[in-house]
Amino acid sequence: MGLWEAFLNWLRSLFFKQEMELSLIGLQNAGKTSLVNVIATGGYSEDMIPTVGFNMKKVTKGNVTIKLWDLGGQPRFRSMWERYCRAVSSIVYVVDAADYDNLPVSRRELHDLLSKSSLNGIPLLVLGNKIDKKEALSKEDLTEEMDLKSITDREVCCFMISCKNSTNIDTVIDWLVKHSKSKN
Amino acid sequence: MAQPLVKKDDDRDDEEYSPFLGIEKGAVLQEARVFNDPQLDARRCSQVITKLLYLLNQGETFTKVEATEVFFSVTKLFQSRDIGLRRMVYLIIKELSPSADEVIIVTSSLMKDMNSKTDMYRANAIRVLCRITDGTLLTQIERYLKQAIVDKNPVVASAALVSGIHLLQTNPEIVKRWSNEVQEAVQSRAALVQFHALALLHQIRQNDRLAVSKLVTSLTRGTVRSPLAQCLLIRYTSQVIRESGNAQAGDRPFYDYLEACLRHKAEMVILEAARAITELHGVTPRELTPAITVLQLFLSSSKPVLRFAAVAMTHPVPVTNCNIDMESLISDQNRSIATLAITTLLKTGNESSVDRLMKQITNFMSDIADEFKIVVVEAIRSLCLKFPLKFRALMNFLSNILREEGGFEYKKAIVDSIVILIRDIPDAKESGLLHLCEFIEDCEFTYLSTQILHFLGIEGPKTSDPSKYIRYIYNRVHLENATVRASAVSTLAKFGAMVDSLKPRVFILLRRCLFDSDDEVRDRATLYLNTLGGDGSVVETDNDVKDFLFGSLDVPLVNLETSLKNYEASEEPFDINSVPKEVKSQPLAEKKAQSKKPTGLGAPPTGPASTVAAYETLLSSIPEFSNFGKLFKSSAPVELTEPETEYAVNVVKHIFDSHVVFQYNCTNTIPEQLLEDVIVVVDASEAEEFSEVASRSLRSLPYDTPGQTFLAFEKPEGVPAVGKFTNLLRFIVKEVDPTTGEAEEDGVEDEYQLEDLEVVAADYILKVPVFNFKNAWDSMGADFERVDEYGLGPRENLTEAVNAVINLLGMQPCEGTEVVASNSRSHTCVLSGVYIGNVKVLVRLLFGIDSSSKEVAMKLTVRSEDGAVSDAIHEIVASG
Repeated sequence: MGLWEAFLNWLRSLFFKQEMELSLIGLQNAGKTSLVNVIATGGYSEDMIPTVGFNMKKVTKGNVTIKLWDLGGQPRFRSMWERYCRAVSSIVYVVDAADYDNLPVSRRELHDLLSKSSLNGIPLLVLGNKIDKKEALSKEDLTEEMDLKSITDREVCCFMISCKNSTNIDTVIDWLVKHSKSKN
Repeated sequence: MAQPLVKKDDDRDDEEYSPFLGIEKGAVLQEARVFNDPQLDARRCSQVITKLLYLLNQGETFTKVEATEVFFSVTKLFQSRDIGLRRMVYLIIKELSPSADEVIIVTSSLMKDMNSKTDMYRANAIRVLCRITDGTLLTQIERYLKQAIVDKNPVVASAALVSGIHLLQTNPEIVKRWSNEVQEAVQSRAALVQFHALALLHQIRQNDRLAVSKLVTSLTRGTVRSPLAQCLLIRYTSQVIRESGNAQAGDRPFYDYLEACLRHKAEMVILEAARAITELHGVTPRELTPAITVLQLFLSSSKPVLRFAAVAMTHPVPVTNCNIDMESLISDQNRSIATLAITTLLKTGNESSVDRLMKQITNFMSDIADEFKIVVVEAIRSLCLKFPLKFRALMNFLSNILREEGGFEYKKAIVDSIVILIRDIPDAKESGLLHLCEFIEDCEFTYLSTQILHFLGIEGPKTSDPSKYIRYIYNRVHLENATVRASAVSTLAKFGAMVDSLKPRVFILLRRCLFDSDDEVRDRATLYLNTLGGDGSVVETDNDVKDFLFGSLDVPLVNLETSLKNYEASEEPFDINSVPKEVKSQPLAEKKAQSKKPTGLGAPPTGPASTVAAYETLLSSIPEFSNFGKLFKSSAPVELTEPETEYAVNVVKHIFDSHVVFQYNCTNTIPEQLLEDVIVVVDASEAEEFSEVASRSLRSLPYDTPGQTFLAFEKPEGVPAVGKFTNLLRFIVKEVDPTTGEAEEDGVEDEYQLEDLEVVAADYILKVPVFNFKNAWDSMGADFERVDEYGLGPRENLTEAVNAVINLLGMQPCEGTEVVASNSRSHTCVLSGVYIGNVKVLVRLLFGIDSSSKEVAMKLTVRSEDGAVSDAIHEIVASG
């Protein structure tokens, strides 16, 4: 991106509000609702109740308004994820990086979802959450475990975050904001 | 809400049209894509939802795929903050009622709305959430619901209370925990909340008589402001009065409250109170007077609604005082009121006024709608049964209106009435049958034609001149459609089989039917000709053939249908003996459904169907019990379990001459269980004269489908043996998977203790009323009169003593003598009944009470056709 273009973008952003829509999915207890709270308010709470259905949240960051569809991660909701991922700017997939037992399930659900033709080409952001725990996987291991290398038909990115300590949350927001622009 | 906007065209006032007229499902579903737009247009979305709701309310159905698609798009609308749109979202979710596994997706959003600051969100979210919720989720939201019940906003509180009423059906144990909150809501200042809270509170407690009584006691002292709630309270009060039983006039509990309600400022409360009073058991004239005054006032009110309500209310009640006021309503401008007034007068009036009323009705019969005509026809039928001497005038009226124009239901009511009159009034038979014959000459309803033909076949051959009906029947073979032709052939054959003198001529007619164009008609004619001996020889048709052709089917049709469905075509012919004869459903339940509509053509022609008849058919269908002789008496069901237990069992005692059969009606109330080989094990050690002879277990008892098991005992013939039986329900229980409904292979044997059952002397006496006790008493004579005196010990009052003796004897009180005037010191009560062995018994009881010691003395005089029976009655009283 040249300097000139960057300047134009900056100029555009002064006059136009950007809108984007995101789906937040992943197994139960991965930290999706916590992530929404951290992005929206910066607050974190230990005791959360499982999301029954979905939460819908609108967050404004700079001149970008982000619509977040935070979906329940329990098995009975997984078949409905796809309906809320259609036509979003990007899919955010949250993984509990310290829960080794559920990684295979998480991988299978992710790849199942991405195989749906309605979601072709939608950028994917995989977030390894809970790196505040000492047993959490490294980014390389997570990429390996989730078999992210095999996804070639879309843009894939992976960050390691901690909602509890607000680690890397800014990076995530930056990435999201950037993708709202590139999409438009 | 979902009401289509209606616009009036200025030029043509009478023509109204809906802006949604002619919209198509496909197009609207296309439009529903706007729900997925990134930039929502709330107004547009609301309009589309309105269209969807309009379609659904017009009876349009969505396929599973369409409904799912719409539902998920609608869920995306939760992002909008538009209040109007959110409201539409709630409505469409309720209306689409998606499957349980999908609808759960909106739970979280609804829970958020339920705690929102917007009242409208809270109220509506509660209603939707309770509609879609299941037991596990309910415990999660219970806390919020409890809060909502006592919410300041009446709309929110009402929403929670109404949801509670619905949830009580599915999750009673949870809703019952809300009692405190509901009780608080009953005290609410908002009329709506008070009404709903009272309804819920009563439902929570409805199985606890004491609690209901307490509720009524505390609320009747005042604080109920809402008129609707007041009406409810009046109903609950009369329920309490009914159940408290001691119909002691004068100090009847809560009567003052009911009377005070007659002076309430809301008319609906006054009406409700008036009805409650008129329906009181054994109401005295003094209690009745204020209610009647109010009704009379309403009868002459200027508001049609009040007039109508008052007339409707005087319907079932012997409120003859109102008749004069009602006379003026016969010519009321409002047709509904006039019809109701006339039918009421017909029901309550006396024989002398019948002719005048009939003239009145004939005048406006052509002006009123079919539904009202049916009411009139039904009134006339009951009138005719009440005054059999008037049948000629009434039958004429019926036959006249039968000839006029009318819809199916109306014609059916008339035909049914004529059939009942023919059955119950022998003199009406011949003329009635001819009226029916005339009717089928020009009848456009196949159903009625076939029914009448069937009825003719049964009644016609028994008349003095059967041959005159043949022409009418044979005309059908020429003029009607195939269905009617086929029944006409059957009817002809019946005449041939029953009346030998007609046989040769009937055979000629039947032979002509062999050339009919319809298979069924030809088949029937062939069958009858062959079996009845159509080869020209006139022989007495033997009974086997008659049975085969015209006897009733001895298996339930439902069972036959299932067996035929299961039958696979093979070498082996279908065997009718393989069809189970067990009646699946409870005969009592059937009876209830039956008794609502009049027994018309569909019912068997001999005698009206009664409980006894239903039991008789049931018992005679069981081979083990078929040789017990004639059923003497069946008791009312006696509950052997508390309400709301795992298994509900009640028992009916069937008394035969030398046998007693216990019919246990069992219901399994646990969805996760299937019971098999259900039997009641009885210990009859306290019933020495009884010995068990047969039993019939219940093969399987699935959830919520009542079934019956039977036990038969032998007892000395004609002797009113009494005894006590302890009951134990024994069965094999199998777990049922609630999702698939399939039972596991292996079951566990289990037992369930039931309450004891007693056979008492009253079981051997039938309640049979006599209409003129004095005549009956005199004609019975004093040949077998037995007189004795008894001391009944101290009693509260005479009513209690009288009721105790009536219950002990199980006889029918006559001429209203079971009601004791208040504070009287002596009383005479007369009873009638039939003792086992069909012996008529009349009893005269003379009671006296000592005013200070409350000792009751009784003089018992028994008259019967048999000295031993008179003695037996004395013995019952002496040992009771």
